[in-house]
Amino acid sequence: MTATADQVASELRELLAEVTGRAELRSVPSATALFGGGVGLDSLAGTLLLRQVERRYGVDVAAEDLNLDSLETLGTLAAFVAARM
Amino acid sequence: MASADPTLIKCVVWDIDNTLLDGVYLESAERPPPAKPVLLGVMRELAGRGILQAVASKNPPAAAGYVAQLAGLDFAAAECGWDAKPDALGRIAAGLGVVDAEMAFVDDDMLERAEVATALPGVLVLTPEDAADAASWPQFSPPVLTDEARRRGQLYAERSRRQAAASQFSGSRAEFLRHVGTRVTIGPATAADLPRLHELSLRTHQLNSTGEPHTEEELGSLLSSAGHEVITVRLADDFGDDGLVGAAIGVRGTGARQAELTVPLVMMSCRALGRGTLDALLAWLCRSAAASGADRMQVPFRLTDRNVPFRLALVSAGFRAEAGRRSPDGLVSFSRPLAGDLPAVPDYVGSPDQP
Repeated sequence: MTATADQVASELRELLAEVTGRAELRSVPSATALFGGGVGLDSLAGTLLLRQVERRYGVDVAAEDLNLDSLETLGTLAAFVAARM
Repeated sequence: MASADPTLIKCVVWDIDNTLLDGVYLESAERPPPAKPVLLGVMRELAGRGILQAVASKNPPAAAGYVAQLAGLDFAAAECGWDAKPDALGRIAAGLGVVDAEMAFVDDDMLERAEVATALPGVLVLTPEDAADAASWPQFSPPVLTDEARRRGQLYAERSRRQAAASQFSGSRAEFLRHVGTRVTIGPATAADLPRLHELSLRTHQLNSTGEPHTEEELGSLLSSAGHEVITVRLADDFGDDGLVGAAIGVRGTGARQAELTVPLVMMSCRALGRGTLDALLAWLCRSAAASGADRMQVPFRLTDRNVPFRLALVSAGFRAEAGRRSPDGLVSFSRPLAGDLPAVPDYVGSPDQP
C-alpha cells in the first residue's frame, strides 16, 4: 500500500468505529473482510461509511463501483479512495 | 407498554426540501415550491400546544423565512447551511435548552435520518409520513390526554428504548439483535396481508428493489397464481412487535430457465433497517430456492442514489451485477449461483406455525 492509501486506511478505521459505535474497530487489520464474519458491516453502517467517505474525500464509491467490490476489505476501500482523491 | 410514558417532545426540527415544501427550494427557478399542507397543518397544531418548531435545512437562510411566512408562525430556531444535520440539531438543542430526548426530527431523506439517529440516539427521528399523524401521539400531547396512543407512536416509543439499549450495549450488532430477543418470521403471505403489502409497495422507496407501486388487486392475483410465491417478513423483539415489515415475490423460470428463481420485488420498511431483517430475507430466499432445486437466483434492481443500503445487502449476500447490462426498463440484474457457500440464515429467523 502506498503512503496515501495507508493514511486513508487509518482514517477509515476511525470512520468505521464512528458509524458502528465499536471502538475496537480502530485497530482492525487492513485485510479483514468488511462484510460477513470479519467486521460484520451491515447495510446501514455500510451506507453511513460511504456517506462519510464521500464527504471527506469527495469520492462517491456507490456511483463508481456497481458491485461495491471496493468494500471487500478496509485495504481495498482505502486503495479505491486513494486512487481517486 | 403503557407503563413507560414516552418523553414529551418540546421541540420539533423540520427539514425543508421535500419535507415541508413540495419540492426543492433552490431547484425552482421561478418561485419556490408550495408547502405540503398536511405537514404545515401538523406544525401549526403542535405549535398551538406549546411545542417549539424549528428548521434544519441545507439551504440559504431565506428558505426558513419563506417557510415561516407560508406557515404563519415564527421558528424558535432556524439552522440553514451546509453542515451535517446532527451538528445543526446540537446547536438548536443548546440554544433552546432542550435535551435530545425532548426533540423530534422530521426529514424525507433516509440517510439524514440515519445520520441523526446514529449521532443523537435520544432524538425521535420521523419520516414525513409519520409526522403527518404525530399530533395524535402521546409524545406530542401535553399534558393530560394520554388516551390510547396510536400504534405508530407506540412503535417509536419502543424504538427509542431499543436505541437507548443499543447505545449501552458493548457487543457487535448481531450480538445486540440476539440480546434483545429479535424474532424474524418469514413465511407465505395470506389475503389478510394484502392491504399492508400494498402500503409497503407505496411507502418503501429506499428499501425497494424496483420502486414500482402495486395495487391490492395485482398483489392478490400474484397470491393466487401458481407460478408466483409471495413471502412476508415479520419483525419483533423484547421491545415490541413491528408486525409485517417486508415482503418478496418469487417466480420460478419455465423451460430452459426452470432452475432459475427470479425475485421481481423485494421491499422492506425503513423501520427494519439496521435490524438484520433484509439480510435475513435474502439468505432465506437463497436457501429456500436452493432446497427446491433452483441453481441460480436473480433480483432485477433499479439503481438509485438512495437505495445504496439495499445494494449493500445484495452484495453482502453474494449477489453481483454485470456492469453495462440493463433491461429495456432500466433494471440491472443482480444474481448469484445457489451452490457452495450460501449466506447464513441467522438463528433468530423462524417460520410461522403451520396450520
